[in-house]
Amino acid sequence: MEQAEPGVEVIIVTGEHDISTAPELERRLEAALESGHPVVIDLLGTTFIDSTVLRVLICAREEAGERSVGFRCALGETTGHGVRRLLDLTGMAGRLQAVPTRADAIAGAVAPGHA
Amino acid sequence: MTGRVSDRAMTSRSSGFELELAAETDNVPLVRHALRGLLEASGVPEERISDIALAVTEACANAVLHAYPRSRGQFEVAADLTPGRELVVRVRDHGSGMAPRVDSPGLGVGLPVMAAIADALEIDTPDGSGTLVRMTFDVAGPAS
Repeated sequence: MEQAEPGVEVIIVTGEHDISTAPELERRLEAALESGHPVVIDLLGTTFIDSTVLRVLICAREEAGERSVGFRCALGETTGHGVRRLLDLTGMAGRLQAVPTRADAIAGAVAPGHA
Repeated sequence: MTGRVSDRAMTSRSSGFELELAAETDNVPLVRHALRGLLEASGVPEERISDIALAVTEACANAVLHAYPRSRGQFEVAADLTPGRELVVRVRDHGSGMAPRVDSPGLGVGLPVMAAIADALEIDTPDGSGTLVRMTFDVAGPAS
């Protein structure tokens, strides 16, 4: 998990994440939302998430909405099967405001009228 | 933590593992990696492994989260892959049962996810305490 984009909080989630790493991701997302900058979660290199991680992502999206902070997830071809499977099974893909590339996610998060 | 290769692996072509673990979140990925190793060694397709890993992760997360809300305990995971290409995974805790929990850090989707992926799912309270989740997976082909 890291960030690298001026004026936008980009959180890159790589590899496997589950109940053991969800609290750290939650802390990073809370800190990103505190900054007041638009928040992008890059899931392009994420291979696995469980429902505790999905809950953290959805809560971050809802928190961003309440704060009127821009928010997008990048979720594409390189995102692991396990991530897409959980989103399909739970029907929650739409709630993550997912777009296929990090550039699309940044553009969407910084655009006015996002919330 | 203790773990051993199933004794049955010595006498037939069944393979598997049994793990007794502290009910701590850091042990959930450990179970998933053991399971992945078993299934990869048996040539199970990657997408099926990924699905099964998700179902078993959800079961283990339930054991860790719900079983011992006020104290630390153990949970046990047994995986048995038969020559007939059926995988049976048992996740057993000795806690307070799978009671609703208003402060649950989950989404409440763990059980439906497990039910959707497993070909059979049984939840029991053996000996009147704790929870046993038994999932059966057909690993010969895609899930029905």
